[in-house]
Order: sequence, then C-alpha cells, then structure tokens
Amino acid sequence: MNDANGYAAVVLRSMWRRASGRFPLMVIGLWVLVSVVSLFWTPRPLMQTDGYHTWQAPSAEHWLGTDGTGADVFSWLMAGSRTNLIIVILTVLVAAALGLLFVAAMVSRHTVLAGASVVVVDALISIPTVLIALVLAVPLGASVAVIVIACGFGYGLNLARVARPQALLVARSAYVESAMADGASGAYVLFRHIVPNILPVMLVQLSLSAGTAVLAESGLTYLGVGVPSGTPSWGHSLATTVRFISVYPLTVLWPGLVVTVVVVALNLFGDALRDAIDPVTNPALRQGTGVSGKEDGHGR
Amino acid sequence: MAENPGAHGQAGATTPISASPSETASTDDSLNARVKTPRKRPWTWIVIAAIAAAAIIIGIVAIVNWPASQPAGQRDSITIGLKLAPTNLDIRNQSGSALDQILIGNVYEGLVARDENNQVVPALAASWKESADGLTYTFHLNEGMTFSNGDELNADDVVWSIQELVDKQYHDADSLANFESITAVDPHTVELRLTKPNSNLLWTLAGRCGLVFDKDAEYDAKTEAIGSGPYLVTDFRANDSITLKANPDYWGDHAAKTQTVVIRYFTDDNAAVNALASGDVQVLAPVSENLAGQFADDTEHYTVQAGDGTDKYVLAFNGAGEHTSDSRIRQAIRYAIDHEELIASRGGADAPLGGPIPSLDPGYEDLTDLYPHDVDKALALMEEAGYGPDNPLTLRLEYANTYGTDLGDQLRSQLAEIGIDLKVEVVEFSTWLQDVYTNKDYDLSLVDHNESHDFYQWADPEYYYNYDNPEVQDLYAQALAATDDADRDELLRRAARIVSEDAPADWLFNYRITTAWANGVEGFPVNLNQTQLPLWNLSYEG
Repeated sequence: MNDANGYAAVVLRSMWRRASGRFPLMVIGLWVLVSVVSLFWTPRPLMQTDGYHTWQAPSAEHWLGTDGTGADVFSWLMAGSRTNLIIVILTVLVAAALGLLFVAAMVSRHTVLAGASVVVVDALISIPTVLIALVLAVPLGASVAVIVIACGFGYGLNLARVARPQALLVARSAYVESAMADGASGAYVLFRHIVPNILPVMLVQLSLSAGTAVLAESGLTYLGVGVPSGTPSWGHSLATTVRFISVYPLTVLWPGLVVTVVVVALNLFGDALRDAIDPVTNPALRQGTGVSGKEDGHGR
Repeated sequence: MAENPGAHGQAGATTPISASPSETASTDDSLNARVKTPRKRPWTWIVIAAIAAAAIIIGIVAIVNWPASQPAGQRDSITIGLKLAPTNLDIRNQSGSALDQILIGNVYEGLVARDENNQVVPALAASWKESADGLTYTFHLNEGMTFSNGDELNADDVVWSIQELVDKQYHDADSLANFESITAVDPHTVELRLTKPNSNLLWTLAGRCGLVFDKDAEYDAKTEAIGSGPYLVTDFRANDSITLKANPDYWGDHAAKTQTVVIRYFTDDNAAVNALASGDVQVLAPVSENLAGQFADDTEHYTVQAGDGTDKYVLAFNGAGEHTSDSRIRQAIRYAIDHEELIASRGGADAPLGGPIPSLDPGYEDLTDLYPHDVDKALALMEEAGYGPDNPLTLRLEYANTYGTDLGDQLRSQLAEIGIDLKVEVVEFSTWLQDVYTNKDYDLSLVDHNESHDFYQWADPEYYYNYDNPEVQDLYAQALAATDDADRDELLRRAARIVSEDAPADWLFNYRITTAWANGVEGFPVNLNQTQLPLWNLSYEG
C-alpha cells in the first residue's frame, strides 16, 4: 500500500510540474471542492423559482443570472457538479470492472472462451452508447443509472479492446507460465501480473472515458433519458436553456463553458497521466522505487 | 526493466513514432525552405486569393440582400411556418389537429364553419332550421357549388359523406352524438335527424364530421385532396411542407387572395424563428413567447400578437388517489399555486383560467376568484389534513416531456411552501398515456387539453380524472339536451362552477397562441389558428 502511495505521489508530482498536467489537476481539484461545498451551501436555494425574474442577466444577486423558471444559474451549476462527479466516478468504476472482466475472458487459456469473447466484444462495440441508453430508458425511465450503465458498458468494451494486446503479452510471458506451473490461480495472475502491466493503458483510457461521460451526460439528459427533472446537472442546465440560445445565449454559455473546460481537462489529464506513468518520458520513475511491476518479476 | 518487456516494449514503440513526425516535419521545413527560394511568386497567389475572397463576399452580400431588392407590391406567394406536421392527408382516418388546421376551410369545406370566435357560421349550407323538439335539422345548401375537379356539389354528396362517416366510423364519428339519419329532400336541401337533442351538433358539423367529399371522385386520400374549398393541394411532403394553389374555379365568395401558399413545418423552435428573421417564412404560428421578443421589439418589420384559444393547462388531481381524494389537499394545492407568476414566467401572454370552460366555449364564466393565490389558507388546509412544512406530504406529478421541465420545477417550488414534496416525473407521451390516461395510476398529472367543447370529460366518471359528481353529470346531460343556446350556456355555467368548487384539478392557465408575421401580411387568423386556419383572406404586400 505504501508502495502504491509512493508511486501515486511521484506520478502526481510529475504531472504538477508540467503546465499541461497542472491545468487538469487544478480543474479536477476545483470540481471536487465545489461538489463538496454545494452539499452545504449554494448562493441561492436550489429549488427556489421566481416567475417574475426569469432569464435575468448576471447581477450581484444572481452571479450568472437566472434561467426560464427564475432559478439561480450559478447555484444549479454548483450543485450540478456533484451529480456529474458521481456519474463520472460510477461510470469509470463500471467501465473498469467490465473492462477487466472482458480482458480476463479474452486472454483466458480456455481457447473457446477467449475466441468467443473477442468476437462478442467486437460485435458489442458496434452498438452506439446512445442506443443502449435509449433502450435502458424504457424500463428505467430517465435516471443516473441509465447513463452509468450505458456509458460504463460502452467504455468497458473499449477499454478491453485497447488493453487486450498488452494483457495477452503478459499472460503468455515466461513468468506467468512459471507462476501458473507453480499453481497460481487465474484471479491471482490477473490481479498480480496482468493488471499492473495494463494499468498505464487503463488509466489513460479511463480518464478519456471520464471526459466522454461528462459529454454523454449532457447529451443523454438533453434527449430526456439522462438525469431526471429536478436533479441538478450540467446537462440539465444545458437542456433547459438551449431552446432559447438565440434569445438568451449567455444562459447556455455558462453550462457549455463548464462542460467544455472539464472535458478538455479530463482529456489533458489522460495525456499528462500517460506521460507521467511512462518511465521513458518520466525520469522520476526510472530512479524511483515505486514501479510495482519491477518487484513482480524479482518477487517470484 | 527486462522483466516487463510488454509494457515498456509498447511504450518504447510509441515514443519513436511520436518523435518521428517532428523529425519529418523539420526535414520538410528545411526542404520547403530550399524549394521555395528559386520560384517565389507570392504576389500571384495573393492577388488570386484577394479576388476569390472578394467574389465570396460579394456573393454572400448579394444572396443576403436578394429579398430586399425585389420590387414592392402584392406578392402572389406566401410561406407560413407551422409546428405540428401531418403525416398524410387522409382527414377521414388520420387523427391529429394538424389536418384540421390546414385542410378544413381551405381544401375541404363543411356544411357549416366556425368563425374566429368559435361561433358557427354558414359554409356549404347557406342557412339551416332546427325543429322545436331539437330532433330535426334542415340545411339549405348554396347553389352552383363545385368540387375542384369540376363535379357538382349537391345534397347527394352531403348525405353520402355523413352516411359514410357513420357507417365506416371515420375519425371523430363518435362526436356526432345521437345521430339517426340524413336524407336529401331535394338537390339543395338536406335533413338530419337525431334520436335525442344534441346542442353541440352544429359546432360538431363545423369540424371533421360535417366535411363534404365528392362521392364520384377517386383519388389517394393520403397524398391528394379533392374538395370544394378555395385552395388545392399541389404538393405534399410528409412532415415537411404543403403547397396550396388557389382553386381557379372556386364557387363561393371566399376566393383566395394569394395564388400560392406554402406551409413549412418546423419542429425546432430556433429554426422557425430564424426562418422568420431571414425572410424564409412571412408568418410563424405558434412562436414561443420567450422567443418572440426579438420580433415584438422590432415593430418596424414585424407584428406579434397573441390570439385566444381553448388550450387549458389542466393540473389534474387523481380523485381516487390516496391523498388527492382528500378535498382539503386538493383545495390547498389550488390556493398554493400562484397562477400570475406562472403566466409571467412564460412571457405574460397566457390568460388565467379558474375553471374547465375557456372564454371561447359556451358556458364560460370567470371563476378565477374561487381559489385566489392564498398561501395562508393553503397552509391551514394542509394542517387540517395533517401535513405541513415540517411534516411534508410527498406527491408525484407525472406529465409528458412535450411540455418541458419548467412547469414541473415551478410547481415543485410553489408547493414546497405549503409542505408538499412534489416528485416530478417527466416521461414519454406513451408512458403518460399508459400510466395516467389508461391505468389512472397517478397523484397529479399535467396536460394541455386543447379541444374545444370538451366539458364531457368532467361528466364522465370513467375519465382519467376519477371525478364523479352526479350533479355535474346531470347538468351536462341537460345542457346537451337543451334546444335553446341560452339555456345550454346557463346549464354549462352552473356545471363548470360546481366542478371548479370541487377542485378535481387546477387550471394553470389558458394558453394563448402567439403569432408573429412580417409587416405587410394581412388576414392571418390569430384566434384558434392551431385548430382551423382559413387562409383565403391572407395577403402579403411588401
């Protein structure tokens, strides 16, 4: 555990040192902070509407103005960040779990299972995420679960596809062969040998997925199958104002800006993370103690 | 590092690749630098680029200014923008008010018609007489009427059309209540008999039920329309546009003032507004009040006007619901809702409505003072029922997503003040139909009941409201049986007041259609223009 902490610290420090890494870290930090603060405090009560003061321009009272119900745009964006954060975290977890499951199946020694799962993943990957969400919305209605399941499933498949070649190399390597001969179980090999080796690929892929999940939330909520009415989210703020973009462009601009900045940050985060965890581009890792993969080989 | 050949192998493999473009690029740069020097002719390219840019700018300016450069005067073509598009033209089978809107009075004509105040006026029938017992109606038809294909329109066509409607149960046939028979007395006189009086008959005949079709014509009713009206359908594109051309042989005095009327359908409000702003359409109906602002401000070029209609935004309380069967809670909700605020947030064009009958329907009376906005009264009623802000009652509001989320958000906010925790579910229309309309599984529901003469909903205990008041049912039956319009109106007025007092629903507002048009357009109906839209009087000078 200490090892992992040390590794994370080295990686984060390397990211912070570069401008392309500092920006996403700052944005994500602010995002988490605002999400927590919004649980206790927003400038105006969230559910308060005021029909006499709709579509107000930004003022001291309403920092980013009001929307079509007279609700405070800034408060809704603040509260929306927590919904989006939860959605992103859950989506990434689901994608990681499903992705690992598919990877395990695809590199399995059971040749029929491995072959079949490759075909199945290839087939499933062709189904658009939006379509999955629309189908899920029939029984589930508009809900966070629809976004998390649809996106988690889609991104899990992508992850499996991207991680498979790497995982296959490890799974067929001499040290895994000897570990298996030693009586190691499949699960042990997966978590002890395969996961550490595909972790860089996974982290990058997942951080890209996180960005896509923010976009997907906006899109699906706009289509009416995402976050339900009355739940603050950036997609909700966009969906309720975008009809009036020609008259009140500012009200659409704010949530649009937030989504854009966060998505860009998450993508840059992926790039910076790739650079930071790659010993070729990050000298800190070459002299550091933290590369868990290193001990694996010697350890056994 | 050898122990991890895969990961590093891959990473190592990517690094040279990512590095190689920059190498190539630098090689290219140096190559380019050498290549450029000997044959440097920058001026040629700058001149060509400048000419191309100028040509593009001139082209754009010419296109943008094209409409303005046309000579002013009476136009022989108008394009209007509407919202709900018909999927086909078969007005006898296809439901949806989009067909009534565009075909009735323009392409097909009925025995009678409705004017802009929803009153019955002559159309194919020049006059009519009702017997004292209210069971026999005698219609005297105009002379010399023809269909657009040249066929004569006489009593036989009228009898055939209405008999077919009843026999084949075409769309809306149900509303022709108590029908017994229809016969042609002579080529210009038709007699319609009822089993029981029906005070709605004439108004019903001004809709789909009274339309007269050519019994001898054979055509595909889904894509063509042969009627007797002032316009012909010359082009129909499902869900997109309809082109109407003036009928050169029109028989009556409603001859079209404009030769060609093109109707375009816009599902996207912004696209519709842009079309009016750019001059692609000259009239837009409806235009969302919030989007109409830019035209309302520009009075030099546009006119924006709201018309009366019969759209009632009904917030229904399930009469058999666990909590909504308690009249104190229903009344508390009515007191708690601030209708003025709802209307203000929508732009202020809509009218307050205190009961089930809107101003253009018979039996209207201003009932808005029955349940004025009074939070204290609402709080007292809630307390009596055992709830309050500290002990909130959870109620579920389910409505179709076509109405947007704003109303739900506002109602949640307003009802929170009196201790109601409103859970708003905005669903697909089909889900609403299933849950609310069919299964009656709901607490609160929101629908725009846009039909005119639809009081029957409150006299039908099976309707999704679960509202069952024998007194109202009795008054409505009497109103239907009334042979005198004044009696009918009085009976409906009494029934409507009782309904509103019982609070089986709250009427949020009477939605008024906002229409915007370019100055120079004359004769576009503003009242009720989503149900029937007679265009013969429409003209455009500009």
